Amino acid sequence: MSHSEVALGGQHAGHHVPVMEPSPFAVPAKKLAMWLFIISDIMTFAACLVAYGFLRNSTANWPRPFQSSTIISVLIMTFILMTSALVMAMAVRAARAGDRPAAFRLSMITLVAGLLFTLLHVREWFGMIGQGVTLFKNPWGTGLFGGAYFSVTGMELLHVIAALIALLIISLGYKSGRYTAVDLENIGLFWQFINIVWMFVVPLIYFMNLAG
Amino acid sequence: MSAAEQQDGLGKYIGVYIGMLVITGIELLIASRHPSGGVLLASMLILAFLGAILGILYFMHLATENRTAIVAFTLFTVFVLAATTYGWTDSFRILFGAPFAK
Repeated sequence: MSHSEVALGGQHAGHHVPVMEPSPFAVPAKKLAMWLFIISDIMTFAACLVAYGFLRNSTANWPRPFQSSTIISVLIMTFILMTSALVMAMAVRAARAGDRPAAFRLSMITLVAGLLFTLLHVREWFGMIGQGVTLFKNPWGTGLFGGAYFSVTGMELLHVIAALIALLIISLGYKSGRYTAVDLENIGLFWQFINIVWMFVVPLIYFMNLAG
Repeated sequence: MSAAEQQDGLGKYIGVYIGMLVITGIELLIASRHPSGGVLLASMLILAFLGAILGILYFMHLATENRTAIVAFTLFTVFVLAATTYGWTDSFRILFGAPFAK
């Protein structure tokens, strides 16, 4: 069928073809929607990080509570998340090649890595709360720190948990044939986005703690 | 997908993965030397953007998408990021007492 037939509708092999426009940028519609969602989500994270940076810059007694144990824990979390991103990319590649069992297996490895990251993240939070950090006060300095810290890292954690739930549902659906490789690729895009956001959270929140 | 193509794709992924780990290592190395806040912030942002570009191009497969899609997504993202920093001037006005009020 020619491009114009797709665009305008018509008959093909005796069947009525619904009126459809070709997908913009030659990207499947679902995938395009995911890209647009990710771009809008960039705004959310960028706003959170810019707000954190502004507060940190404008507050004289901004606390620096992260000890070397926290930095080591964050490095382990980073390693886990980056490894999960690699495995997810391999899962998408397997799905594109039509290797359903391998794609499912790799998605499940990503899921386990994501769960591990979540557990470490929650442990990190409990450590901070145990030191007396709440949304409005902490033992070291301005009370704004807790609100800013929990907002940025909480937003990341919320995205990870949402992505894990979606990944579980889509992977199981993909295995059973309900979902396609494009669906798995979409959740893969979201997972990669979370990894990229973490690449900004770690230096701007944790490593900036070490500034002279 | 041929075996050679598969091997090439896997090698690319592992290269990007190692690149991202190295970037994090460099960030830690720079931060552990305790430079001033401005220098550290600039270094962290540059390195984070490098890592993000690697991830977007290869793990998110933007490099293999249609060229128009690459340009469009990049432009949208740059616009979004520029829009996010819109409030900076006003924030500094609040901080330093309306230097742009005249």
